[in-house]
Amino acid sequence: PSLSGQPGMAEAEAAGDAWLGPAAAQEGAELAAVIGATVPTGFEQTAAEEVREKLGSASRISKDRGKIYFEVPARSLPQVHRLRSVDNLFVIVQEFKDYQFKENKEDALKDLEDLVKKLPWTDPMKVWELNNSLKKKKTKRKKHNLQSPASRGKLSDGGEEGGADQNNTNDQEDCAQNPVAVEPTGGQDTENPQEVTSRNGVEEEEDNEQSDVKVEVQASSESGTKAGEDQKGEGEVKVLRFRVTCNRAGDKHSFTSNEAARDFGGAVQEHFQWKADMTNFDVEVLLNIHNNEVVVGIALTEESLHRRNITHFGPTTLRSTLAYGMLRLCDPQPTDIIVDPMCGTGAIPIEGAAEWPYCYHIAGDNNPQAVKRAANNISSLLRKNESKDSSTALGVPLDVIQWDICNLPLRTGSVDIVVTDMPFGKRIGSKKKNWDLYPACLMEMGRICTPGTGRAVLLTQDKKCFAKALSRVGHIWRRAQTVWVNVGGLHAAVYLLRRTSEPAQDTRPFW
Amino acid sequence: MKLLTHNLLSSHVPGLRPGGGFPLRIEAAEVRVRPVPFNAAFVSRLVPRLRWDALREAAESLPPEPTPGYEADEEFLRRLHHVLLEVEVLEGSLQCPDSGRRFPISRGVPNLLLSEDEA
Repeated sequence: PSLSGQPGMAEAEAAGDAWLGPAAAQEGAELAAVIGATVPTGFEQTAAEEVREKLGSASRISKDRGKIYFEVPARSLPQVHRLRSVDNLFVIVQEFKDYQFKENKEDALKDLEDLVKKLPWTDPMKVWELNNSLKKKKTKRKKHNLQSPASRGKLSDGGEEGGADQNNTNDQEDCAQNPVAVEPTGGQDTENPQEVTSRNGVEEEEDNEQSDVKVEVQASSESGTKAGEDQKGEGEVKVLRFRVTCNRAGDKHSFTSNEAARDFGGAVQEHFQWKADMTNFDVEVLLNIHNNEVVVGIALTEESLHRRNITHFGPTTLRSTLAYGMLRLCDPQPTDIIVDPMCGTGAIPIEGAAEWPYCYHIAGDNNPQAVKRAANNISSLLRKNESKDSSTALGVPLDVIQWDICNLPLRTGSVDIVVTDMPFGKRIGSKKKNWDLYPACLMEMGRICTPGTGRAVLLTQDKKCFAKALSRVGHIWRRAQTVWVNVGGLHAAVYLLRRTSEPAQDTRPFW
Repeated sequence: MKLLTHNLLSSHVPGLRPGGGFPLRIEAAEVRVRPVPFNAAFVSRLVPRLRWDALREAAESLPPEPTPGYEADEEFLRRLHHVLLEVEVLEGSLQCPDSGRRFPISRGVPNLLLSEDEA
């Protein structure tokens, strides 16, 4: 059975509550991988478009927000990893659209245990193996590029070895990871389906900078301590280490995610004779339960892909995947001049220059530290781009400027696109400042943008202030689309605006 | 700072006559040349958007005007590409033509912030 291409057609698929994974590969048949990807909530459609464009596959968008599913030949895995709109990847073992949970806790958990031996693990495990061999090649290059001291990341708190439960307080939803036979000490259950919070704690305070960076660093620190890596001989049978991560959302389940992870994990250990290990695992089994939708998968990424461009973090660094989604929304055309007038550490322009090299990108900020970090992040990007033959890194169509958003030193109508992450009241400045800042920003952005064809994509949490400011500049900007997103646990919105044909005045009005 | 950026920048010192802030005069103390992959269509489409005189002032290697048929003139496009994207001013300043106010360029980044009293 193949995936239907339309979002929302999940219900219309073949009858029955179980959808079997790709048919077991026959002799000579090519291995197919059914991939699940987590994406920034609200940008599922954008991600599906990128998958269609780069891999030729149709995607299904899950009811569990922030996830899409698609099928590709396993040999396309490298391209899958290069998707810019995706945070994490997993291969699907089996998906149940309408799983009937028994009301009694013991029975429901027993069902989950019994499920393990019935699941079609073979092909997904092959995909996992293939993915592993790809990762090993990547890790060597990554060690090279990292700027910060290796710190143990979310998966390996405090150097604990194969023991204590991980209580991840950043997650709003229920997330439990459990080796067998260890009693969980914490974890939260979500009674009502909630939006998926970014797992890796995107918005961190500046003095916790290290915790921001840990995500990128994981690959290298973990591969160094991975069980049996690179040391086993060809013919040796290696005992795999694993853990189970369970995410559960819904108010009708009789069990917690901790219990599900524990019992499912026990059955996995029985079945495979693997060793349970919380911190140094080879295989991460995912058990995602969202009301009656159950998905069993195996993780293909350890660290989130979304930090990939940024080595110098600031207090409000935007995820690259979110930056990508915002850029895609305004549909950049070759030669478009794209400006981020409040660029912070430069996440958006850097993503822009990497993915749209035939546009010209300008990053600006008034804060000298932000400007410095943005410039450093660009240097890091240039180092990555160093061609093997020459010693000079190729340049990128990107410049950084220090300026005042309310008084931009740019010619009127000289820019095609403005994309930016507007200050959230709670992080930079206060709500009161936004009240004056937003209208001034929108006017200046309107001035520099080409009438008729120009557009803006603006991310903000202060939706009330934004709506009010927008109502005052209706002669310059029209709202075209709104995407509701989740940024570091906060509800925010991305607005796509189109510049009207009205020419801008060269002199700024008084406020 | 690349010269394409310079072509878009305009001084915003208050009280200037209209257009009096453009173009900023470049005083370059340190310049670097760094190759950027060439794309003819990209450069060609930029031509109508550029302020040609300002660009020429910044880079004397260009002809007095783009000649008709420039879209197909690869030599011209390559020279233009070089000027717009491959020459970077690392250290120096930008001077406002009307007010004379200088804005510093440091490590490739121009600082165009006005001080509190100026704004």
